[in-house]
Amino acid sequence: MSYLSVTDILVSNEKVPCKFLHDLPKLGFLDPSCTDDDLKAGTSVEIPIWLAESLSSRRPPLVTVDLPKVYKETYREIFSADACTVDLHKLAQYFYELGCYVAKYDIKGEVSTTLVNTFRQRFKMILSASVATDSINALQPLSECERDHTAAAMTTEKALSSWLKRGESLLTTATMVANHRKRKRAEMEML
Amino acid sequence: MFGEKVIELLKESERNRETLSPFNDEKIRQIIEEMHILFKLNMNDANATSENKSLWTTVQVRHSALERNKRCLLAYLYDRINKIKTLRWEFGSVLPPDIRELLSDSEYDWFSKYSTNLATFMRSLGQDIGYSGIDLTENLRPPKSLYIEVLCITDYGKLELEDGDVVMLKKNSRHFLPTSECQTLIRQGILKQIT
Repeated sequence: MSYLSVTDILVSNEKVPCKFLHDLPKLGFLDPSCTDDDLKAGTSVEIPIWLAESLSSRRPPLVTVDLPKVYKETYREIFSADACTVDLHKLAQYFYELGCYVAKYDIKGEVSTTLVNTFRQRFKMILSASVATDSINALQPLSECERDHTAAAMTTEKALSSWLKRGESLLTTATMVANHRKRKRAEMEML
Repeated sequence: MFGEKVIELLKESERNRETLSPFNDEKIRQIIEEMHILFKLNMNDANATSENKSLWTTVQVRHSALERNKRCLLAYLYDRINKIKTLRWEFGSVLPPDIRELLSDSEYDWFSKYSTNLATFMRSLGQDIGYSGIDLTENLRPPKSLYIEVLCITDYGKLELEDGDVVMLKKNSRHFLPTSECQTLIRQGILKQIT
């Protein structure tokens, strides 16, 4: 992922359980249940993945990264049984992206297969959400990037059907201008 | 915890993906302050590591936090720059005052430079075949007819056409105008095409 991608930054803010291998003086505040000033080696704390990643890549590594519970055995079984019943929006908004991050800490490589299988099973949900008339309910259980894909599918669908009609292509207001107008109108009504 | 303020900043810009929000200099100042504190603490501890080796680990954690903050700030600015670019293409070279307010001073400088660059480039187009430049922000769709019927959405004032006629654009008035003359106004949301 790119260095400047906002989505990637938000994804890497998700927390993962980690175990510290060394003492960390003065950093006791990382663990909310710790009253000491120092963080002792061997404590398990949930820290954002960006911190975990940079600390575990140091020589010698400072932490070992554990899998978040969504990627553990129990949930993996649920996903392999029927991925479509899971409400990913509630469970893990960035399921796939975070999965890509943690997959390298899973030695058996089962996380990556789960990711692919989950997407394969859920693909038909994305497809049906993109043509659904009741789009709010159809969109509800989708994760963040699945929603993006759905939105993209909708625009493409619309563009294709308008092209097939070969109708008059009306000149329209630019998107940003239109959105700015809407916002201004909402502000006016509030006053 | 480190880097939480900067996440608030980015969430703000992620929420309004399609519009520009005001430049949040207050929050940026706070973040830079946080970075200064981290840096100072790190300096002190790095100097003290000769006696106490275990401080190295702390220094490394803080260093990661510093780099993270830097990355997030850069991403915030980059995201805004991209939106400002779109402003140039959609609003034209002169920004309405309410949009101008959303930009910081240096961003406005950048906007004017980008605008000049783009204008120079568009003027240079097609010179070898005898044209004096092409406006790339126009004709985004192939024009179907020379004249189109438009409805005026806001009170705009007088518009002088190329042939010298002056049209008064008042709210809710209908006009039959040359496509080339009103394209920009449609893009800016002043006119609306009706069939």
